[in-house]
Amino acid sequence: MKIMIRGARLLDPNQALDRVADVLIKDGVIDTIGDLSNTSIDTQVDIQVDAKGMILSPSFVDLNTCLRDLNQIQKGTIASETHAAASAGFTHLCPSPDTQPCSDSSSVISLIKSKVEGAGFCDILPVAALTKGLKGAALSNMESLSGAGCMGFSNAGYDISDNTVLLRCYEYAATFGLKVLVQAQDEKLGSGHMHAGPTATRMGLDGIPVIAETLSISRHLELMQHTGVEGHFNQLSSAKGVALIRQAKAQGIKVTADAGIAHLCFTDAKIEGYCSQYHVQPPLREELDRKALVAGIKDGTIDAICSAHQPHESAAKCAPFAATASGMAVYDMLVPLMQILVDAGELTWMHAIQALSTNSASIAKHKASSLAVGNSANLTLIDPNHHWILNEVTKISQGTNQALASQTLKARVKLTIKQGLISYAL
Amino acid sequence: MSSSSNLQLTKDGELRHFLTPEGLDRLMLERILDTADSFVVVGNQEIKKVPLLRGRTVVNLFFENSTRTRSTFELAAKRLSADVLTLDIKTSATSKGESLLDTLQNLRAMHSDMFVVRHSDSGAAHFIAEQVTPNVAIINAGDGRHAHPTQAMLDMLTIRRHKGHFEPLSVAIVGDISHSRVARDQIHALKILGCKDIRLVGPNTLMPQGIENMGVSTHNNMDSGISGTDVIIMLRLQTERMASAFLPSAGEYFRLYGLTTARLAQAKPDAIVMHPGPINRGIEIESAVADGPQSMILNQVGYGIALRMAVMSMAMSGQMQQRQAQANQTSSLSGEKKA
Repeated sequence: MKIMIRGARLLDPNQALDRVADVLIKDGVIDTIGDLSNTSIDTQVDIQVDAKGMILSPSFVDLNTCLRDLNQIQKGTIASETHAAASAGFTHLCPSPDTQPCSDSSSVISLIKSKVEGAGFCDILPVAALTKGLKGAALSNMESLSGAGCMGFSNAGYDISDNTVLLRCYEYAATFGLKVLVQAQDEKLGSGHMHAGPTATRMGLDGIPVIAETLSISRHLELMQHTGVEGHFNQLSSAKGVALIRQAKAQGIKVTADAGIAHLCFTDAKIEGYCSQYHVQPPLREELDRKALVAGIKDGTIDAICSAHQPHESAAKCAPFAATASGMAVYDMLVPLMQILVDAGELTWMHAIQALSTNSASIAKHKASSLAVGNSANLTLIDPNHHWILNEVTKISQGTNQALASQTLKARVKLTIKQGLISYAL
Repeated sequence: MSSSSNLQLTKDGELRHFLTPEGLDRLMLERILDTADSFVVVGNQEIKKVPLLRGRTVVNLFFENSTRTRSTFELAAKRLSADVLTLDIKTSATSKGESLLDTLQNLRAMHSDMFVVRHSDSGAAHFIAEQVTPNVAIINAGDGRHAHPTQAMLDMLTIRRHKGHFEPLSVAIVGDISHSRVARDQIHALKILGCKDIRLVGPNTLMPQGIENMGVSTHNNMDSGISGTDVIIMLRLQTERMASAFLPSAGEYFRLYGLTTARLAQAKPDAIVMHPGPINRGIEIESAVADGPQSMILNQVGYGIALRMAVMSMAMSGQMQQRQAQANQTSSLSGEKKA
């Protein structure tokens, strides 16, 4: 297949590339980059896109997502959610192990992989359970799971309170050079429903204090440093959490981190009126935390941006706030949310692509896609000026928990290309 | 500002739900108090009924145990001549796995006009008013640790009847602020009514993070906290707070924060003592104070019925106006179509 993309702004942080050019994709690889306006190639291409004013970048890699399916098809299927991921510019996903049944065996991993391959929208680099059943007691078969293609190991949202078990998990993972991913939140301190602060106090909701995150980060960092395991923190939420990661990196600890797009854009003020669409874990915190997360992306303390996509059926969010399920269906909103940050001057698209693509690929130990001739064509084309309304007709995720539903949004993915083939086209 | 304020009022600014005083204006709270004042008299009459809710169905939905609040709501509805159905939901539908949403939709189908709701989740009444039953008046009888607006307003009625204006008053609220839905609504109501000195007294374990943002001062020391105050509101201390590591013992709590005759002397000589009840004698309050001349505890109970009659009649009236406006709109639309 030949695809011609004409006149896009090419952004690739890998090679500090920022220029307008035409790109020809042929047989799965980037064939030519440059001014192709005078070539008579047009007649021979299968698809030609006039991409003037659009942004072409290496495709996105998601370090934290829930694809549901298996025993949760009421929330989403692998087909629906990988389709939604492709529509957000992702070609590679690292699904969280808190599937039902949980991803702690090669058989579950291979079932998920075969469903993802069958759907054909994305490739996955699964994260397997760190402990059996995510119960925090017995080690999973990490080496075998790694052999089955898992990129790393995590206990998802289930804190391992026993330090002996956690120490052994990290020692074992370090033995085989395996990566561990952490959602840092102390179980007991994290038992509330939103950020502990004036808003939670006024609304009478149980709060989750910042120390639920910082105590957990400190504990994991100590164990990472002690064991030498390669660690990654998913979904930082607080300014103090960002400061701890910055300090750890300065000390030379092998650690990386990401933040969810929702935490970069929203604060706990959104929960006013008991709006359950903003009930997420870790909780949305205050403006100073949001600003620190954005600053962390800018200065590289936070390496990556993840979707933290968690689709739900409508009943899961239709109850008094504390009784609702946490999580947000993010894929349909990801690029518009990014555009909001860009339009506000908080981040540039170059920062965004670095965090969504270059760095996340490297953390996932996946060869980063690059806008260079001869490279496999994994690309995302974004129209930053496309205005659209997110509703039942336009949304792709099966989840009904889109916080920005019914709103007019700006920016949308026009085309996602995975290994030279179109995995999503608007 | 809380989005509850929009939810609670009709387009014309009339009360149609009563979820929390937060977001309502001073005029509305004063109207509630004035209406309640007029109902205090009804309780003293030989025939205690007025026909304001005749032909209306009020359903008391108690998802959480309550004796006193439930019975005063029931009595208030009956004095307004409503048909009253009281459901103890904890032992019925939801224990069979029915969701709150389904339970309410079933009750709505029975053409109820008003739900009086108590639920253990903060925001439950808000959820019902917003998402389930926009045409049924919702009166919040306590949701989680968020709000208990009729209790707070009956406290305001007590203060106004015994102290007059709110502006010059110093009010201390003592005890478990953290778990108290009453304290939050008292703070909102006091602020709206013009009270400038609101002091919260208790140990840090019972003082929620960021409460100062509500415009109050916090005090760990009881003596200095109640010093010179006009009103002391004692909160009930649940005994489970000891088991969950908020406090070491009831004895130590009483020694540090219990209201004794000696402590009461720190307040103004004519200070009044209030408590939402039920009281724990010897834990948060000494019997001599609870039964003493400055205690308003039993007056509060009597005012509670009047206050509840007031908000029920006001919300029903607002709801009826809204229904009428909707009906007029529908008939004018169908008229336009015919034309």
